[in-house]
Order: sequence, then structure tokens, then C-alpha cells
Amino acid sequence: MLEIKDLHKRFGDTVALDGVSLSAAPGEVVGFVGANGAGKTTTMRIAMGVLAADSGEIVYNGSPLGVEQRRRFGYMPSERGLYPKMKTGEQVAYFGELHGMSRAEAKRSAGDLLEQLNLTDRMGDFVQDLSLGNQQRVQLAVSLVHDPEVLVLDEPFSGLDPIAVDVMGTALKDRAAAGAPVIFSSHQLDLIERLCDSVSIIGNGKIIAAGTVEELKAKEVKQLRVTVQTPDDLTASLPGTVTRDGDDYLVEDADDQEVLRIAAAAGRVTHFAYDQPSIAEIFREAVTR
Amino acid sequence: MTAQHTETSRLRGLMLVAGREIRVRGLSKANIISSIVTVAIVGVLAALPTIIGGDDGDEKIGLAGTTAAAMQTQLDAMGGFAITTYGSADEAEQAVKDGDVEAAITDGTLYSEDGVDSGLQNQLDSAWQAASVQTNLADAGLTDAQIAQALTVQPLDAVTLGASGGAGSPLDYFTGLIISIIMFMMLMTPAQYIAMGVVEEKSSRIVEILLTSLKPWQLLGGKVIGLGAISLVNLVAMVGVGLGVAAATGMLADLPPGTASAAVSTIGWYLIALVLFGTLAGGVGSLVSRQEEAGSVLTPLIMSLSLSYVGAIFLLNAPTSTFAQVLSIVPPFSAITMPTRMAIADVPAWEIALAIGLLALAAAGALALGSQLYKRSVLYTGSRMKLTDALRRAA
Repeated sequence: MLEIKDLHKRFGDTVALDGVSLSAAPGEVVGFVGANGAGKTTTMRIAMGVLAADSGEIVYNGSPLGVEQRRRFGYMPSERGLYPKMKTGEQVAYFGELHGMSRAEAKRSAGDLLEQLNLTDRMGDFVQDLSLGNQQRVQLAVSLVHDPEVLVLDEPFSGLDPIAVDVMGTALKDRAAAGAPVIFSSHQLDLIERLCDSVSIIGNGKIIAAGTVEELKAKEVKQLRVTVQTPDDLTASLPGTVTRDGDDYLVEDADDQEVLRIAAAAGRVTHFAYDQPSIAEIFREAVTR
Repeated sequence: MTAQHTETSRLRGLMLVAGREIRVRGLSKANIISSIVTVAIVGVLAALPTIIGGDDGDEKIGLAGTTAAAMQTQLDAMGGFAITTYGSADEAEQAVKDGDVEAAITDGTLYSEDGVDSGLQNQLDSAWQAASVQTNLADAGLTDAQIAQALTVQPLDAVTLGASGGAGSPLDYFTGLIISIIMFMMLMTPAQYIAMGVVEEKSSRIVEILLTSLKPWQLLGGKVIGLGAISLVNLVAMVGVGLGVAAATGMLADLPPGTASAAVSTIGWYLIALVLFGTLAGGVGSLVSRQEEAGSVLTPLIMSLSLSYVGAIFLLNAPTSTFAQVLSIVPPFSAITMPTRMAIADVPAWEIALAIGLLALAAAGALALGSQLYKRSVLYTGSRMKLTDALRRAA
């Protein structure tokens, strides 16, 4: 269990984080969403120990996170970085060693990962000679090479082609299935919706909405959508506030059972459900509130 | 997690960083080629005196006439001559023309193709004088024993009155010069590479991943160790090839007896100086985010290295002056000037100890300052960071 507790951070006069808390249980994939400059990267940097918080703490499995434990984390910073003049295979293995693997382990793991990423034939090439997309894959390999216990990934999907997105998504799911807490940020909200168990939305250095995807959707439920096969216009006969969306009726502030009864009496009801907002809608709602 | 990783100790992190520098930079094609070229140049330079001077050190001299036997005795006593005796003055003259001998001496005449150099001329003159004196004394009826006694001269007993033994011999001067040049080059190169490496990690943003599993001091220290080791290998290869070639061509015997110990102590000085300049280079390198800006922050460091070198050259010409004495004790100049001074003059032990102590202290200070600078500014990107900001900034 990785817990980020009440982080505060200022840069000069700018308040970057104002009490950010976030947690990921074993096997949980947490999406971290927010506008540019909301504090996602700062939070993740503090979690990974590359930046010090003014106050607040990072707790892992019940005790403050130390260097040795953090070494077993996998991290992908928002600003990608690799040694341009180092061979791909050597570089991935080097990071494995830095994370505490033996040389042999690191080499084997680097070989396996690069094979999964279709980079086996580029292992002997300098990173600077790879295409940008392939460099991204190497970056992914670097953050996964040591079989991390926890993943903290800042915009892992940005700049990836669809195949790499699938590889990355599978990697996240696999790590989570193996029991790792996973936190990642993204602007691609469809991906967040597809991959995440829960979502935290940050705005101006504060968490403005958090919960499982279902909880968030349930909270944001606004209207009942009813489709009835009838030649009559039911706008006046249905209770509550009724609007039309094409052939559908959108009903708010009404007893749903009563709506169903009236609709069923008028004709055949082919659709009767509360509209589930997408994460994108929830996000827009949360940040503009 | 199922995977059990061995704990990365602090030392292992340091050595991994150093190892990467050695693998990537030391074993790069560019470095290997440049090292081979440099070592080859040193080898050629070491062999140059022999190549120019002929294939062996002995001067080939032809002798003829009645004085030939007496001259042979004198020249043999001096050593360094290969003597051929000819039956007549004409034969000796022909041998010079044919280039069989450098010069030929018959009764009172010195034949040469186009003059002999002054050193050889002096030697031949004194041999001729001694041979003549001996012949004259023998003609005057003295016995060999009397002649020997008459010619025995007690050489001048040299007493030096200067405080530190006065200026050294030309060979000491040469050794001092070589030490100062090597120290200068061998400190400059890793300092620049360390700064460049720091900026590379910063500009490529890889430092952010590195710092999740390494402490800043491991990252900086590993760089200094790795790049220092590469320089040290280059240094040892150069010195080794230089001394090896000198030994093979028979020049080694002419070097001052203290050469080996000077080489060893120079390496000691080098290691302390490397910590001093290397950590500072890393620290100031971390102030900038782009390779183009690295030059400007390195300038003070390069200036102080250059001044040390210029100081060492000055010191070679006035090794006993107060200025030389002070310069060789005050860090960072002492890094280059003290080993240079030790090569050319006798330095009191307390001065050496003081210089080492101060330099080590400065190195420790640089280590603290450099790593603080590094720690505080390595994650800061954008325009160049001011030194004062970096020092004020909370880590």
C-alpha cells in the first residue's frame, strides 16, 4: 500500500501542492488526472524522492518510505531521459543494476523486456540512433527492468503509438495483477477510464475529486434517459424536469419508478437508465466547479 | 513481489556509476584512438633523441699518426667513443669523407665533414691536450707513475649556499616541466568531462530517474572516480611507454635517480587534486542545463588550473624564490606547483606536509561544496542557476 499523505510544497511564492493525499492499494491502478500545472508531476517527484516536500509524508506498507524500498519502485518521469550515447541493451541493464539486480539478472531482464518491445535487434545501437517512439519503449523498459514492486508513472502514454500504448497498458495491468500498486497520470481520459480502478483529480494543488471509477460516476449521475416507442410526446406527462435529446427523454428530479410506469403505459420502453458520465465529463465538471 | 534483489550498498552504487563512465567513455572508440595516438606520440618523443643522435650513443672517431695510441688511451678513459685506428692520415681522412667516422684526429689535425658540435669539440680538445701533456712529460723523461701523479687533480668541491639547494640540473628542469604539463592536462581533461557528463545527465533529464535509486554524492563521486580512473590509465600508459622507450634506447640511465619516486608522488598529488577539481567541476556543471553553457561556468576552474601551470613554469626558473615557496603550498596551485618544485629543488619535509595537508583540506572542502551545489541544482532546469541561489536554495 502506497500512501501519499497531505503534501505541501511551495516554489517561491507559488503554492504547488496544498495538502495532496493519494493512495494506491496492492493491485490497484490509480489514475491521476489534472490540468497542466495542477501539481501531478510535483506530487510524483516527491513520491519518488527526487524532490523534497515542505511537509507531508510518503508511507509504504505502514512505514515511511526509505531509499532501499524506493529502489524497488519503477518510475517514469514526465520529462523522459536516457543516455544518448549508450547502447540500448547496456543502458536498460545498467538501470536494472542500479535498482539492485546482479549484473546477470539485469542483463537477462533487459533482454526479455526488449524482446517484448520488439527491440531485440536494436540492443547494440546507441539510444540516440533510435526513433522517438522506440526511445519511448526503451524508457518503458528502463522503468520496468527491475520487476518493480510499485509503479509511479508520469504521463506514460504520451508520445506512444497505438501498439506501444497496448504494450504499456498490458504492462500496467500485469504489474497490478501481480499485486503492485500502480499510480499513473495521463491526459488521455479514455485510457484512464479503461485501465484504472480509481481516479484522483487534482486542481490547483488540491485533490478535488477521488474515488473508484464507479463511485465517481455514481456521484456525478445527473439524469435518467428514457427511450419509448410511442407516437405521443410525453414531455408534459412525465414528472420532473423533462428535456428531449433526439428521440430520448432526459428526466431530472423525479421518482424513477413513476417515470417508468408512465413511460411503459405510453409504449414499449427500449432504454431506461441513468446516464453514466465519462471520466472526461467528470473531470471537466470537477475542474470547472 | 516475488523477485528478491540483492541490496545495493552505497559503495555498489558508487562503483556502478564509475563503471558506466569507464565502459561508455573510457572504452569508447574515440577515447581508445586518442589514447593510442597520445601514447604513440609520447613513445616517438622519447625515442627522438636516439633517432636524431644515431643508433647508438658512441661517437665514431678515427685516429692515425704517432699520437694515436695516447689519444686512444685518453678517449677510452672518457668513454662514449667508438675508435677506429687507421694506418695513415689519408686513410683517416677518407673514412671521414665516406662517413665511416664522425671525425678523425691525426697528428695535430681534426678532420670532419662539416665541423663537429661544440660538446664533441671540447671533449676532443681536452683529450688532445691530455695526450699531448702526457707525451711531452714522457719526452721530458718522467716515469708513468710520475706522470700519473702529476696529472691527478682533485675536482672542485661544490658547495651550494642558496636556501633550498639552488636551481636544478637541466634534466631536473625537464622532469619538472614534464610533470607540470602532465598534471595540467590530466586534471583539465577529467574536469571537463565530469562537467560535460553532469550537464548531459541534466539536459537529457535522465538524472531524475538516476536520483530515485542513487544519492547525489554517489552520482557525482562515481563520475569523479570513473573519469579519474580513465585519466590515470592514460597517464600510466603514457609514462610507462615513455620510460619503456627510454629504457630500450638506453636513455633511462641518463635520467635523474629520483625519476621513479617523482612519478609515484606525482600520482599521489594527482589523486588529491582530482578530488578537488573534479568535484568542483561537477558542482558548477550542475548549475547549467545546456552543454553550450558549460564553458562559462567552468571558466574560473580552468583559469585556476592554467594559473597553476603558469606558476609551475615560473617556479622552474626560480625554484628557491619566496614566491615559488608560497605558490607551492597554497591550494589549488600547489596541486601542480609542488610536485614540479619537488622535481627541481630539495623541499623541506614540513613544506611538503603542509602543502599536502592544505590541498587535502581544500579537496575535502571542494567535495562538500561541489556535492552541495550538485545536490541543490541538479534537478533545476531552465536558465543558468546563479551560484548564490544554488547555495541559498534548500536541498
